[in-house]
Amino acid sequence: MQAKGMLAGLSALLLLSTCSALYEDQIKKFDWRGVNVGALRQSRVDLNHFQPRILLSTNEGVVASVCVKTGEIVWRQVLEQKPRGDIKLLQVSGFSDDSSDTAAAPIGSNMGFDMLTVQGHAPALVRGWNTNMGALEWEWSTMPLNTERALDGLWFYSRSVLYHVVPTWKSHLEVTAYFASSGHSTGSTSKVMASWITPENCLLSGTYYICVDGKQLISLDLVSKSGQAFRTALEAEPKSKLQPLAGLNGVLIADGKLISVNKDQAVCSGLQSSSYAVGTFNYRKILAYADVASGILKINAVYLDNCSPVAELEQGVPFPEHFGTPSLNSFDCKLKRNGEGKGCLFLFSTSAESILAVQGGRIRWSREEALANVIDTQFVDLPLADTEGTLENEMKGKAVDFTSFERDIVSAFLRRITTQAVQIRSLFLHVIGLGPPPTATQRAGLVRDSFGLHKMLVVLTRSGKIFGIDNISGKHHWQLYLPNVKGFDNAEQMRLIIQRSAKHFPLQPLCTILAQDAANGNGVLYRFNPITGQASEGGLLQLDYKVKQLSLLGETENDFVKGILLLDASNKVHVYPQHATSLADGLYLYTADVKTSELTGYFVKYAGGQLSSTHIWNVRLGGHNSEQQIIGVAGKNPIEHVHSQGRVLGDRSVLYKYINPNLVAFVTQAPDATHKSILNLYLVDVVSGSVIFTMTHRKVRAPLSIVHSENWLAYSYFNEKVRRTEITTIELYEGKSQANSSVWSSLQAPPMPLVERQSYIIPTIVEALRETITERGITNKHVLIGTSSGSIVEMPWHLLDPRRPIASTTQGREEGAIPYIPELPLPTESHINYNQTIARLRNIYTAPSGLESTCLVVATGLDLFVTRVAPSKTFDLLKEDFDYILISIVLVALTSGSLIVKHLASRKLLKQAWK
Amino acid sequence: MSAKLNSKKYKWALDFNISKNADMPSPLGYNPSALVNQSEVVRDQRLVIKKSWDLALGPLKNIPMNLFIMYMSGNSISIFPIMMVGMMLIRPIKAMFTTQVTSKMAEGAQGTGQRIVYFLGNMANVALALYKCHSMGLLPTHASDWLAFVQPQTRLEYYGGGISFV
Repeated sequence: MQAKGMLAGLSALLLLSTCSALYEDQIKKFDWRGVNVGALRQSRVDLNHFQPRILLSTNEGVVASVCVKTGEIVWRQVLEQKPRGDIKLLQVSGFSDDSSDTAAAPIGSNMGFDMLTVQGHAPALVRGWNTNMGALEWEWSTMPLNTERALDGLWFYSRSVLYHVVPTWKSHLEVTAYFASSGHSTGSTSKVMASWITPENCLLSGTYYICVDGKQLISLDLVSKSGQAFRTALEAEPKSKLQPLAGLNGVLIADGKLISVNKDQAVCSGLQSSSYAVGTFNYRKILAYADVASGILKINAVYLDNCSPVAELEQGVPFPEHFGTPSLNSFDCKLKRNGEGKGCLFLFSTSAESILAVQGGRIRWSREEALANVIDTQFVDLPLADTEGTLENEMKGKAVDFTSFERDIVSAFLRRITTQAVQIRSLFLHVIGLGPPPTATQRAGLVRDSFGLHKMLVVLTRSGKIFGIDNISGKHHWQLYLPNVKGFDNAEQMRLIIQRSAKHFPLQPLCTILAQDAANGNGVLYRFNPITGQASEGGLLQLDYKVKQLSLLGETENDFVKGILLLDASNKVHVYPQHATSLADGLYLYTADVKTSELTGYFVKYAGGQLSSTHIWNVRLGGHNSEQQIIGVAGKNPIEHVHSQGRVLGDRSVLYKYINPNLVAFVTQAPDATHKSILNLYLVDVVSGSVIFTMTHRKVRAPLSIVHSENWLAYSYFNEKVRRTEITTIELYEGKSQANSSVWSSLQAPPMPLVERQSYIIPTIVEALRETITERGITNKHVLIGTSSGSIVEMPWHLLDPRRPIASTTQGREEGAIPYIPELPLPTESHINYNQTIARLRNIYTAPSGLESTCLVVATGLDLFVTRVAPSKTFDLLKEDFDYILISIVLVALTSGSLIVKHLASRKLLKQAWK
Repeated sequence: MSAKLNSKKYKWALDFNISKNADMPSPLGYNPSALVNQSEVVRDQRLVIKKSWDLALGPLKNIPMNLFIMYMSGNSISIFPIMMVGMMLIRPIKAMFTTQVTSKMAEGAQGTGQRIVYFLGNMANVALALYKCHSMGLLPTHASDWLAFVQPQTRLEYYGGGISFV
């Protein structure tokens, strides 16, 4: 019986699961992927290899090789997640900080490895790579005795030996040497007594461990047999943190000056710069340094042996502001073209997380690695074309001049005639080639299409860099960089807000970024036009208070700006722009304190030109011993429309959905003595502060992903008992009748919902969950599941439906629900990114397009993937392989055929009549 | 009929082709009414009344037959049951609109009664067809049929907020 039920269920599943796979010829038609490596940490430029290359390691735990000419990735290896994949050392064979080694080693000599990396601390993994193809050749690991101390461990390489330095602060250093390619220890661990070492003041430069102590440096040569500490006096106490200079043994940078603690290594002490790098030019060692002054990046170099400047390498490069502050990471010069200095390639990393290559007095290429850390995205409609714009004006009955507009028939008719005359004239001028030149945005192809599928994708990144990206072509139209901003406390990121959309034609759209000032922690607002990337309304606005929370208000009547309401740390309320203040009246606000797991509700009142907030409720989710920590908060998408108000049951009655727009889900987690870990879910109405529903999961823990929409909620978690990831879904219903079918008020005590719940097993690790969203909400909702393997699975809601009947009853079947099977299928055709794996997938964002059937999707992580999905298929769009020619031929043939036949028939009738 | 048509078309033509037609024009000088006697007229009247009662009771006589067809066709929605139900619904309605014409023949003492019976019979047939539609689930009689027109509730309160930034 059960097997039969299973069989029926499976067949129903096969029939019902909407196949939304792509056809082969649709690959890369609607989607594109940006591949990133992350902010540059260490790099080697090698122009003299038989295959010129750049090898690099990044902050994101990526090892990659980049093409010298274009900056494209030749190969990329994404290592494990941090802390295991945190790259401590990148060592390329033939380059060493030990000066003697560099000088002696012939390029490309085989020292047992091409390139090695050291990553993680417990265990530390040492890997040897083939630099031509990026293949892993060998690997060995060490497990430290004390994992906490190993966190501060340092690694350096000298003469085929890899040294591991583990400091014990204020006590001693433990130095262990390994043969780099085999991992065999060369001897026992040596302990160097050093009571002066502290985490803030010490660094490793080549083989020297150097600490600053007031006005002097205390150095230890870790390779030398003596192990004697020696002191070097400084002219002044260094104001900033010391930095080692890669490539020179025992040399460090203090306040832009070079200091050498190595007696064998002389440095040119007269130099002053923000970044240095060491390389060879004309078979002599040189020191290059670079600084930005008034928009020009100046690169200079000196010979290390006599400190005379290298005239050939001196160059100035115009440096766009949006790259941030550059710092010279490494460079290399071609040996054969040493005469002129054009054969040198300088690799810069910048504070905006870009990678720049400067060669021959210009920026050869740049990589925008800030996109490896996207924190928010928004889709913005593109502006209308000129002719459509004037038509739009007419439709609205509002001319460019807002003060005087008539609506009587005569003037409207006249306006229409003039508009059409203007259109015809502009068309004519365009044809004969005399028309006005297209605007910058039009030239760039940034004109709205008829289906609203072409949009500007505004991407905010963690470094404070903002991009305007074409969602069809992937082209970066503009870039902005906000220095000195950072995300908020409690791991809350900066916010990207659309204050005015592109729908109000003569007015330009307006976007705002809310961030925290890196220096004083106060709030910062930056207003800009998302189409052009230009600052608008004064651009940067420094607030004089800390921001606690924000909310978006309704549109104002005269300029259609949605105001931003900010709650500051002292619970005062502020609104930007000022004239939207009155719209904040009657708004409810809540804040969730992650540390204490306490929710606080406020009511905002506008009286006498003043806004005030009143504390109205408190909810404590901390549990009896305050151990519960909020790990997830999910509200509904504020632009969501719910088209269907209920669900049709098998007996054709309606189960009305409980659509509470003020419902927010909170998930807390706490350790537990008997169950290891407990996860609690609370559904709270944040207007009234009432808890609508709670649920507890035992032996369950983070990682948690949660999605909340319409009347349902889905969240994934890790089940410790059976060691698998599960998804629980909840649906809320009002019942067979609606208490109030016209208005929803959380304060009038709406009835408690009926709750349906079900759990499913998903055979993968979930990184992100997101629901699809469309313009009117008529299209089915699918849940996009981002997995740790870098794919996005489009899961129809009817598979996650908590009303899937466990016993195969006719009731459930008539309702259209599939019998319950705990395992969720992950068919390959529902992977919307087919083979375009998104490395380190972190989040998925969705936005409606102009078509009801289509939803735009951005997946972010290390890579960026942009596509669109049609959950109910493109019912409002003809297929792209639709045969227009055939259908028009058939139409014309049938019409003309019927006309001819009619004529023939009448003639025949006439003839018959005469018979 | 065709002879009549033909005679209209060719006013002066004689049609020799339709010799088998019973509806031939009477010979010249022949008056059919002149020969009818009174008793035959009375019998004819009775016949007419009987005939019209037959006509009036026709729809009612159809009901058992329709019931049987309905029972046989089942409640599944497919092309044949739909066609049958459609015919069952349309035929009596059509017939009712042509009542005026049929009752012209029954202009007698029982004309009104016949008309009422004929009408009621047709109504019974329509009701039967509607019942069939209902049992097939074709009538929008459930709340779920009007679900698409239910407007979303307007919300009175708006909220903002999230995890505290400080």
